[in-house]
Amino acid sequence: MKSNSPLIKIFLGLYLVIFFGYLLGPLVIMSITGFNSNGFPRVAPWECLTFEWFEVLSNDKRIINGITNSFIVGIGTVILSVVMGLAGSLVLIQIWPKLRSTYYTIVIAPILIPGVVLGISTLVFWDRINVMLGFSSDSFLHNGIFQTILGQSTFIASYCMLVFVARLQRFDTGLTEAALDLGATNAQAFRKILLPFLRPAIASAAVLAFLASFENYNTTTFTFGKFPTLTIELAQKVRYGINPSISVLAFIIVALTIIGALSFEIYQRRKQLALANGAPVGSVSGNFQLPKFMRGNPASIVLLLVALGGFSSIWFANVYSPDACKVEVREQKRLIQQEQIEAIKQQQLLRQQEEAQQGPDIFSPDNSLVPKTDSEPATQGGGSFGNVFAPQNLDEAGPESDAKEDAGGSEASTTNSGNSTFGNVFDPSNLDQ
Amino acid sequence: MKSKGFMTDFFERNGLALGLYLVLAVGFWLVILIILPQLSMLDFSFRHHLPPPEMGGPKDVYTLEHYKFLVLGAQGSDASYNVVDLGVFARTLFAALFVTLLDLALCYPLAYYLGQSNGGGFVRVLVLLLIIPYWVNEILRAFAFRIIFGDSGVINEMLMSMGVIDAPLDFIRENIALYSGLGYAYILLMIFPIYNVIESLDRNQIEAARDMGSPWWRIHWRIVIPYAKPGISSGCTMVFMLSAGALAAPQILGGPSSLWFTQIIYQWFNQGGNWPRGAAYAIVLLSVCIIIVLSMMRLFKVKMGDLGK
Repeated sequence: MKSNSPLIKIFLGLYLVIFFGYLLGPLVIMSITGFNSNGFPRVAPWECLTFEWFEVLSNDKRIINGITNSFIVGIGTVILSVVMGLAGSLVLIQIWPKLRSTYYTIVIAPILIPGVVLGISTLVFWDRINVMLGFSSDSFLHNGIFQTILGQSTFIASYCMLVFVARLQRFDTGLTEAALDLGATNAQAFRKILLPFLRPAIASAAVLAFLASFENYNTTTFTFGKFPTLTIELAQKVRYGINPSISVLAFIIVALTIIGALSFEIYQRRKQLALANGAPVGSVSGNFQLPKFMRGNPASIVLLLVALGGFSSIWFANVYSPDACKVEVREQKRLIQQEQIEAIKQQQLLRQQEEAQQGPDIFSPDNSLVPKTDSEPATQGGGSFGNVFAPQNLDEAGPESDAKEDAGGSEASTTNSGNSTFGNVFDPSNLDQ
Repeated sequence: MKSKGFMTDFFERNGLALGLYLVLAVGFWLVILIILPQLSMLDFSFRHHLPPPEMGGPKDVYTLEHYKFLVLGAQGSDASYNVVDLGVFARTLFAALFVTLLDLALCYPLAYYLGQSNGGGFVRVLVLLLIIPYWVNEILRAFAFRIIFGDSGVINEMLMSMGVIDAPLDFIRENIALYSGLGYAYILLMIFPIYNVIESLDRNQIEAARDMGSPWWRIHWRIVIPYAKPGISSGCTMVFMLSAGALAAPQILGGPSSLWFTQIIYQWFNQGGNWPRGAAYAIVLLSVCIIIVLSMMRLFKVKMGDLGK
């Protein structure tokens, strides 16, 4: 760019790699954890390739319920915010110039107001309206879906408005005037001229609104009431105990996004190509409708079919059973644990021997846990027992912890035998050494 | 035209049906969804915390109790100021500022690169790649960072297996996870406004400056940055407001000892059950954020109309 020196190119490449690593790495890692049979979403001790988390996910009633609620809220929000955003943009281009900047500030403000504040104000406002009207506390004004749609539409309508404003800037008002001159009514001119012109903007505003609604958390968390959306359910799952089924969900969303983006790209390319080849504009831009990748584009339909095929094959892959692998992993784990236990035992033995040899080295910090004048073996057992749970041992916490406990148990017996050697330390004869 | 008055003119131009739709839809949005709820929250924040039957009763009078609580703390406490809440508030603002600057530093070079390249296939792919993370749920993005930064997370496992460290580093407690998660969440809101502005910068200006022997940093300082100012300020405003008002990322990635101010608000609503106090805190957050943004815009001479473009 700036110059073509190789150093700058290397820096640029490095920067791009770091940037996109930061951007995409987390998603890739999260997706990978969805296929690890480890009970906690993690990559590092890779155990088995598994599809079981897909099944766990599809059986999760709360997630399914959340998706349903999200769709209901999403559709409501799309309708409300597209309608309001369209009106808002049309008013913006007509409004008295003196009022324009004030008006613009007010309608753009919801984007900048923290979502938490929007959620709270919606909750408080409708609660008070409810009290004012004397409705019971379970009236529709208190309904979670109603409040969530209103709360979300407050700011999503601003997004939609921005989309419409961008499109309207390219609108030739002469068209409407011509239609009116030719005797069309206002409603006709709006429906036949402006609305078709705005159709692509309506489609993208609707998609944008749906996505924004689907992933909204801050506003929804105050207003959802008894109807938790998918995002709310996810947040609760992530905060209180998780398994990799969430990673699987993330993988599905990422995959759908990539497919959507790819098909959109293919569609755009085709449109450009067609325009370049002299196709009439109307024939290409006319079929720009909501499910963009479904219409008039064989390549993207193929892509979609491929994607569907891929997904169904993943679903069918449930038949593939990673059980054998799991058994193997379990066996390996058991062996490792046994080795660890052995190692600990050895260490213990070694230490006891050393202690026996060194004699009354009881003032060294290692032995500080052992009360010097103590003659009761139980507390000494506790002291050496504590080593089993020493911090360095806890690092490998996880599924092995049960076995650890066993190790601890077996340790107890060795410790007891240790006590007798320990007892020898206090043998007066040893003091001579 | 103007002499006829705005409303008659408006209905004449749009016709009755369309005009009615516009007025009703915009009125509903502005009044019922934006203005009244905010006013009602403001009003609510000045009320005592009362059980529902007493609302509207004789005890339902205006009070500054909740604002006092934020500044002075509970009555009879040792400290003369509410150190905990104010501390969290200040830390939230500073952290949001930090995240904003981090995002700006990360995004500016890429936005410049994308904006000044000639839009080949490679750039289109990059833009597509940029958009993908934005469509993934906010919660899931935070969750991904938990997988990476957790005690048994990818980074710790990698460093430990390489033998760099013995014990896992606590990224969550040190808030590293939180800052990277927040920066990640809003990175696109920084990059696209800047990209859009820089895209329209005439490349001849840069060429001219270079021909006259200007070093690269002065080209940026004197030409690109002044030109991109609306984009930069709009990106910074959005990232700052959104990260100061973020709730999901702090809940998931925040350390046990570090609260975000929105979490305190959340607690007053969901666990404390003291709605008026939560509303008061929300008002404080909102107004302080607005004041900061407005003063920054004045400082850098940016107009409100430049935002959101």
